[in-house]
Amino acid sequence: MAAALSSRFLKTVRCNRLASVYQNGMMRYSSSVPSDSDTHDDFKPTQKVAPGSTDSLKDLVENDVKENPVMIYMKGIPEAPQCGFSSLAVRVLQQYNVPVGARNILEDPELKNAVKSFSHWPTFPQIFIKGEFIGGSDIILNMHKEGELEEKLKDVSANQKSQ
Amino acid sequence: MVTKEQVEASLTSKLKPIHLEVTDISGGCGSSFEVEVVSEQFEGKRLLERHRMVNAALEEEMKEIHALSIKKAQTPQQWKPSQDSATQPKDA
Repeated sequence: MAAALSSRFLKTVRCNRLASVYQNGMMRYSSSVPSDSDTHDDFKPTQKVAPGSTDSLKDLVENDVKENPVMIYMKGIPEAPQCGFSSLAVRVLQQYNVPVGARNILEDPELKNAVKSFSHWPTFPQIFIKGEFIGGSDIILNMHKEGELEEKLKDVSANQKSQ
Repeated sequence: MVTKEQVEASLTSKLKPIHLEVTDISGGCGSSFEVEVVSEQFEGKRLLERHRMVNAALEEEMKEIHALSIKKAQTPQQWKPSQDSATQPKDA
């Protein structure tokens, strides 16, 4: 059922803007390059943070949320979310003309744990706006419906150079 | 595997809800739930804090729950109008 659900979401997702931001904004870390689960070890990113170095992962998360006015930690990537909730959150954020930084936590269990302990939040997706933890998909959808998200993102879109 | 009853029991004992609805949306695979909670304890709390309270109440269960969607986390005052009209309560 879960698989059917997410593939249904996939069809409706439009990610052009997110895709470019994802690449421009995130590739420099090269720790979350999308890869197939059956990719041979030789081809996996080599810059993974060593196990146990939770401090540097915490720094990485801190840096992410500082440098990206809108940052989402999700299952899959904006172009191809691997969970209905992540897909929903991405689609909500796409309604606003803002660049979104994204990381795929399925790529890296260490990162997943680091994000969870950073926000004290047990599930994904997790959304940060201007460094502030916002919540998951239920909250972002609620804020969207209530008009709070528009308010929050107003100066984010204003601050962006036109693309 | 976490059951609907376990989720209900934990939320009932920790949040003392006046209305609680737990729906198993797993379709038989994994453990996925949708919850609606109406509790006095949400009074004066932002949505994020309310969700944190629900997450905390289900701390043990969350280890096994694959997906939890909190459809509602309202105070009794917020909940009442939506019962009659089935529309979104606007408290702003």
